[in-house]
Amino acid sequence: MKQTYNHYVQFLLVLLSVLLLFPLTGCWSSHEIEEQSLGVGVAYDKAKESMIEKELDEQGEGYAKKNLVTSTYQLITPQVASSTTKQGGPQQKSYVNVSETGDSPFQMVRELSLRSDTPFTGYHMKVIVIGEALARSYSLEQLVDQNLRDNDFRPSCLVLISKGRASSTLESTTAGEVPAFHLYGMVDNTYRTTRILPPMSLIKLASKIQSGSSFLLQNVLSANGEIKFAGAAVIKGKTGRMIGFLNEEELEGVTWITGKGKGGLVKSFDKKTGQLIVYEIESMKSHIKPLVKGNSISFDVYIESEGRLSENWMISGSPLENQFLQKAQKTSEKEVKHLVRNVVEKMQKEYKVDVAGFGNQLRIKKPRVWMRVKDNWDQTFSEVPINYHVKLTIKDYGTSASKK
Amino acid sequence: MKMKKWKSKIRKIGKPTDENENKQESASQASTNQFTDDFTLNLEVVRKELGHNWDVHFRDFIIGRTGIEACIVFVEGLSDKDLIDKHIMTSLMADFSAEYQQEEPYVKESLSNQFIKNQVLSISDVEEVHSIKELASKVLTGSTALLIDGLSHAFILGTTKLKTRTIEEPVSEALVRGPRVGFTESLSDNTSLLRGSGDIENLSLVKFQVGKRSKKDLVVAYINEIVDPELVKEVEKRIKKIDLDNVPESGYVEQLIEDNYLSPFPQVQNTERPDRVIAALMEGRVAILLDGTPFALIAPVTFSMMLQSPEDYYERWIPGTFIRFLRYIAVVLSLFTPAVYIAFISFHPGLIPTKLAISIIGTRSGVPFPALIEALFMEVAIEILREAGLRLPKPIGPAMGIVGGLIIGEAAVQAGIVSPILVIVVALTAISSFAIPQYSVGITLRILRFVAMLCAAILGLYGVVLFFLFMMSHLVKLKSFGVPYMSPAVPYRLSEWKDLMVRMPLMMMKRRPKMMHTKDPLRKG
Amino acid sequence: MKGSEPLEMINSKDRITTPQTTIVVTNFILGTGILTLPRAAAEKVKTPDIWLTVILGGIIAMIAGVIMVKLSQQFPERTFYQYSQEIVGKWMGKLFSFLMIGYFLTLGGFHARSLAEVTGYLLLEGTPKWAIIMPFMWASLYLIRGGINPIARIFEIIFPITVILFLLVAFMSIKIFEVDNLRPVLGSGITPVLKGIKTTALAFTGPEIMLLILAFMKEPNKAGKAVLVGITIPLFIYVITVVMVIGALSVDGVVTRTWPTLDLIRSFELTGLIFERFDSLLLVVWIMQMFTSFTINHYAASLGLSQLFQKDIHPFMYGLLPIFYLISMIPKNINDVFKLGDMVGNVALVLFGFLPLLLLIISKIKGRKYETNL
Repeated sequence: MKQTYNHYVQFLLVLLSVLLLFPLTGCWSSHEIEEQSLGVGVAYDKAKESMIEKELDEQGEGYAKKNLVTSTYQLITPQVASSTTKQGGPQQKSYVNVSETGDSPFQMVRELSLRSDTPFTGYHMKVIVIGEALARSYSLEQLVDQNLRDNDFRPSCLVLISKGRASSTLESTTAGEVPAFHLYGMVDNTYRTTRILPPMSLIKLASKIQSGSSFLLQNVLSANGEIKFAGAAVIKGKTGRMIGFLNEEELEGVTWITGKGKGGLVKSFDKKTGQLIVYEIESMKSHIKPLVKGNSISFDVYIESEGRLSENWMISGSPLENQFLQKAQKTSEKEVKHLVRNVVEKMQKEYKVDVAGFGNQLRIKKPRVWMRVKDNWDQTFSEVPINYHVKLTIKDYGTSASKK
Repeated sequence: MKMKKWKSKIRKIGKPTDENENKQESASQASTNQFTDDFTLNLEVVRKELGHNWDVHFRDFIIGRTGIEACIVFVEGLSDKDLIDKHIMTSLMADFSAEYQQEEPYVKESLSNQFIKNQVLSISDVEEVHSIKELASKVLTGSTALLIDGLSHAFILGTTKLKTRTIEEPVSEALVRGPRVGFTESLSDNTSLLRGSGDIENLSLVKFQVGKRSKKDLVVAYINEIVDPELVKEVEKRIKKIDLDNVPESGYVEQLIEDNYLSPFPQVQNTERPDRVIAALMEGRVAILLDGTPFALIAPVTFSMMLQSPEDYYERWIPGTFIRFLRYIAVVLSLFTPAVYIAFISFHPGLIPTKLAISIIGTRSGVPFPALIEALFMEVAIEILREAGLRLPKPIGPAMGIVGGLIIGEAAVQAGIVSPILVIVVALTAISSFAIPQYSVGITLRILRFVAMLCAAILGLYGVVLFFLFMMSHLVKLKSFGVPYMSPAVPYRLSEWKDLMVRMPLMMMKRRPKMMHTKDPLRKG
Repeated sequence: MKGSEPLEMINSKDRITTPQTTIVVTNFILGTGILTLPRAAAEKVKTPDIWLTVILGGIIAMIAGVIMVKLSQQFPERTFYQYSQEIVGKWMGKLFSFLMIGYFLTLGGFHARSLAEVTGYLLLEGTPKWAIIMPFMWASLYLIRGGINPIARIFEIIFPITVILFLLVAFMSIKIFEVDNLRPVLGSGITPVLKGIKTTALAFTGPEIMLLILAFMKEPNKAGKAVLVGITIPLFIYVITVVMVIGALSVDGVVTRTWPTLDLIRSFELTGLIFERFDSLLLVVWIMQMFTSFTINHYAASLGLSQLFQKDIHPFMYGLLPIFYLISMIPKNINDVFKLGDMVGNVALVLFGFLPLLLLIISKIKGRKYETNL
């Protein structure tokens, strides 16, 4: 008897679920993918209304807002997507840039729904570029707050600073290229050069901001639809605002200090002859040792690297001789020391921030000391003496050996 | 309406006397259904019962030189003419007198059935019947009836010879490597296949009959020393409960003895291959063979059995394992791919790689339907194609499948009704479902795929997960003759996993599955 | 027939094996903890030594688990609901049982609500909560109608899937993992580590199910081993979670994120692999884990009510559904949800930390009493 009872009830349950499913085809969250625009990049600039906006404003029916920020959204709209996939040829423009001006990034995004039938989704956002002017005026924390809070942007999105207007970094004259992807892909080049920072994603940014320490953000230049990664922007931990730039060379020095480089070169000139020697980096390691004597703190930086001799303009001297190699090594080492010293000076004297991770090492190696000094570290750091020890080893010189 | 009902009821009541009379008559007839000494009367009764049939023949003759009358009744086409002519007729007509005269003197009365049976009839299968009903049923299944003047019963001689197929490879379960032998429709052929393939110790073949009007022979096979006696009892109990007019195919038996008829999953396995049956018997399972169908049943059954093919064992263990893995992947693909597609496209575009998302958007821009409708459309089309392919004559069938699929897919994409990605998804699903060795499970998965798609369309990925949980809950509760359906995956018994997703080398598979509660746990040697 | 039936029927036909018991405990423990533990612990500990705190918390849970096992082993074949009355008398026993049922109910509602929150936030924005919770509860109902055995079996199926996907996802996050975020070890000494023990121990709430499950075990003498293994597995998983999350996000980053583990998964993309984004995998795993936790709650509460009122368990299974739903709807916002979780955790501490110990002592004393009497 229990069996039939079971079957009866089972059957009822099944029927019930089936029937109840039908009204549920309201499918609240169902939005077909082709009805949406993928936002792949966004640029935040100091407010400057675009032509269209001005005209729309003139017609009235706007809304109360303070013109603080101009966001430029790079979208892949369905039309653009279909044209790139169907025609294949990169004649068409493969993205669309739309600008909005206002005071709340979130509101601005939603304003886009007033202008397009394919609303903006941020799941595929790849880069956020923040203009210099904006970064200097507002704390980064405020600027990216919405993106961190909302579930729209993924925390893997990269953050970059641009010299000049950020929106121009999202323009490209190369046919078929989407600037956001371009930017995103370029951070992978760290294995080729020491002049690129390891990528800073939104989530890491949040951690850095929260910790209150100063840090660097990759800087992007733009000119005539071309972009270039050039140096880094210095963000002061306390205020979260940008206070200056490090140029390419200085950034190189920082990379050497942190030891995070994966490839690149050291260009130096021989002291005697003034000729060019280029050392290609295969691996680099750096070790920052904090020394604490009483109340005084100092750092010893040990930098090691192995590589090869990759360009040699010296007329005399043969790489087959170790002596020559030693000379080349010494020259390159001197160059590295010079780079490193330069940037530390800039950090300490000009900007008074620690962006190379000295504080971090202090925290790890001497936590109790760190507890004491961490609140005012940037200030303390600017007076701390630092010693450098650089050792490069040239392992080989490629396939071209002696000269004469 | 009601008046009519009343009228007919009254009419029925008004007929009792007629009915009673009829009943009495038939009652008396029933008692007179027994054969009497009167040969002519007997013959008359037989002719009345069977004579109107076109294929029933009556052959009167005289036995040997005794002058005693006799008659054989047989059905043309069902009975072995050879046997009748050479053995029955010859032994009764030609050779009879020789033996008889050596015995007692020629006397009509002393013609005993013992003598006929023991010394004359050179047939192996001899029975005696006393009523017309028995005779009729036997004759109509191919036996020959022999009535002799002076004997108050009839002999039934087993001369059934059905025209059967030659033994050939089963169409639905072809293997690359393995015996090309399949069951046929004749029960005796099938049982001979079981016994004949090696001397199986203790193979019991227990006979049952199912079907009230069309009595069919059914055999329950098991290896006595291995099987759990409780299992045999349960199987026999359920078979005895079958109460139908006609049981044409083992499928009927399957449906009537399975544990849960509401479940989409088959709880009894069917197969045309004797090697599968024998392997199952060796594991302590029970097989059921039904006369008239080449499909034998194996019970109990677990989910993992549905995904196994005898080939896994005939090939070495590394390829065997690999192919099994492939099958599991195929099951997952065939069940979930369209649902996942719908979930991602309609609900979570953020979970697909960007480049893929862009190309999907691009190709779907012109499509007017939401993902669910698109997917349903294509899936239903494929299912109809598949069914149609089965019905078409052999030369056209496969070609139609390929052509139909390609052309419809292409055309649909060109027309902008579906997106090319969906065509790939559907093709993948279809191909994966062909990789499943058991056709019954294949159908189940096809149905469940639609349910999964619906769930995905309502609640996205969450819906798919819920569907999976529901399905698992069902599977985990399902039992096939007392054995949990999801054994040997659960409950965890490490030793049983040697045959689940991998196929461990033969040297390591020495024990029979614990879930079967077998009497003899070791596979000898 | 119906009255006395459920007790015997459930106990004699439904037996679970020792590995199954372990899996049940593991699945019950793994729940919201995976997502919130890094933050909750980091808030208290503030140093990167959280993994030590987790290990310590796990050890505490193991101790509590063993106590509960020892208590239940004194009363073979009977669940807590049945034997509690033997130890402290009918009314106290019933009171304790009611408290436990209430605990399971609230915990279940909490689980359902957490599920709705996370799913609604990350997967189905815009879907009303009832549409998320109800099918979930129906699935649970469908499962537990079969008794303890199907529950254990489905857990055994879900468990390997969970483990494999979780490990896969965890190791992929090595891409953004920075060892420095975990150093220095014990930089500020052991004190911060100890501060967080209460939080981490609460993440291990789950072994209390042994009070009920032992009655169903085939080999109850192995229950101790089952509990220990059953806690060790989540311990590993939690440690890996905490290590990976803090390694990638750093302690400072973790305290700012509501669901740090999810952020961990969403912060990297492996271009080229089939799914670039693996949050779908983690979410699938997590939904299944919430399902397992919820079904246990459902079953435990129904079992309790059925054994207290000596009635068949099935009507309770159905009847509790609306109660779970109502409880899940009580918190008004996400903060309230976390508060509910904390409250339940605190109750668990008392109910399953102190109470079993107390009862064990009382039962041992009573046992000795009988011996001396004899």
